[in-house]
Amino acid sequence: MAAEFFSKEWADAVRDALTAGPDERARAVKLQEYWDFFDWIKSVYPASWALGCRDLPGLGGPAYLFVQWSGGAVTDCRIIGPDDPLQATYVLGMDYRDWKALHDGYDAQRTVMYRKIMLEQGDLLEFFKAIYFFVESLAVIGAAPAAYP
Amino acid sequence: MTERKSPTAVLREGPRALSDAQVREIEDSSLEQVLNVDIDDVIEYVHKDLRSLPDFTTLYRKYLKQRWDVYDLDFTQDKIDWEEKMTEEERQSFIAVASGFHHGERQVEIELPVFMIGASEEEKLHIAAQIEDEARHTVFFDRFYREVVGLKGDDIMDILDASFPWVSETFVAPFGLLAYQADELRLHPYDERARVRYGTNYFLWIEGVLALSVMKVTLSYARWRGFLPAYYTGFTATCRDESRHVQGGMRYLQDAVRKDPTMIKEIHDTLRTILSVSGVVSRRIYYEPLGWTDDEVRALFFLQLRRKLNDVGIGLSPDLEDLLEKVQPVLAGG
Repeated sequence: MAAEFFSKEWADAVRDALTAGPDERARAVKLQEYWDFFDWIKSVYPASWALGCRDLPGLGGPAYLFVQWSGGAVTDCRIIGPDDPLQATYVLGMDYRDWKALHDGYDAQRTVMYRKIMLEQGDLLEFFKAIYFFVESLAVIGAAPAAYP
Repeated sequence: MTERKSPTAVLREGPRALSDAQVREIEDSSLEQVLNVDIDDVIEYVHKDLRSLPDFTTLYRKYLKQRWDVYDLDFTQDKIDWEEKMTEEERQSFIAVASGFHHGERQVEIELPVFMIGASEEEKLHIAAQIEDEARHTVFFDRFYREVVGLKGDDIMDILDASFPWVSETFVAPFGLLAYQADELRLHPYDERARVRYGTNYFLWIEGVLALSVMKVTLSYARWRGFLPAYYTGFTATCRDESRHVQGGMRYLQDAVRKDPTMIKEIHDTLRTILSVSGVVSRRIYYEPLGWTDDEVRALFFLQLRRKLNDVGIGLSPDLEDLLEKVQPVLAGG
């Protein structure tokens, strides 16, 4: 049975999936030079993301999935509640229905381009230097098995 | 009407000189007459006014004269050309290029209104006209995909969904950035530094470099082969509209830097991000059936970037020159 969305078990599964990276099926449809760039960014990426769900059912405020990158792996991945301190290089927010749409297969690139997920804190131009890495990682997060409330 | 040259001739021959008669032909042609205008002349026309940029009221008056009705186009011959004359390779290459425009026109339409809030009253007229232009261009591609390519859908988003599989993954870099920059302006519409960063991405990179370069690829193919007359007419008219947008955008950036020379940092920082990711491709677009190679298209990007920066008097910092050298392809014999 899949872990509940925005639970500790789900965050653990996301951590493992992000460290493993996109699967062979995803890699097969894009050029190697694109993945070389992705892998290089991943190996040197020092930042953290707090990916928010603004209206998680049953919660009074936004919850965040905190992801810390270092040395090509996720070194910390956990859920931050509405009352916990929020510190991350980039804070982003998305509505619950768009998280669910992403999980159901909505394209991660359009999730960014159509402003379903928005940058709420952090240096925008720095963030976009790693945008392919972020979009591919968002697709990996969306594909992690989860039970939606 | 000038001699029909090969699609890539402009890369070898350098800038053209436009006669007064050619400028009049571009500026005054009705929609029917646009079919006879050479796309290379229209692209050259964009640069003609960059050294002495027109003011926003002049651009608005040009818009009123040059506005065209997207529903006047008749795609009957285009459908015949598409189905009976073009090869499968040509169709696939064409659609891979055109899909970027199908989605790009939609993106620049919806992300522009917030930029108007912090603009001068005269610039607001020009931006309002530009938003209407971009909406019309969105309908142009919607019609082309329905009536020529044959995609089916109940509304505009259905057709966008249907053409999205042809859009490259790297599309998110300029257009995702634009979406986020628009959101920054939504929160801080009078932040002049944020406006300059937005203008650098929208007017200089997306419209001045990407759009004008790639427009040329499908248009020079259509002209060279004598195919797709309604596409050529509508998209060349679109290119004439874009010339006003680029001139207005360059005017905005030039004024911003003249008013506050430290704004050059915002332009450089934005270009640094764009160039950091623009050398990466996620899928190979086979431009060859349209008469181009991938390297020739990218060389055209950087030619357009350098010309615009030179024309409006914006220099590059040494690290940006280095970055540009790294991502710019070297053309054999070019």
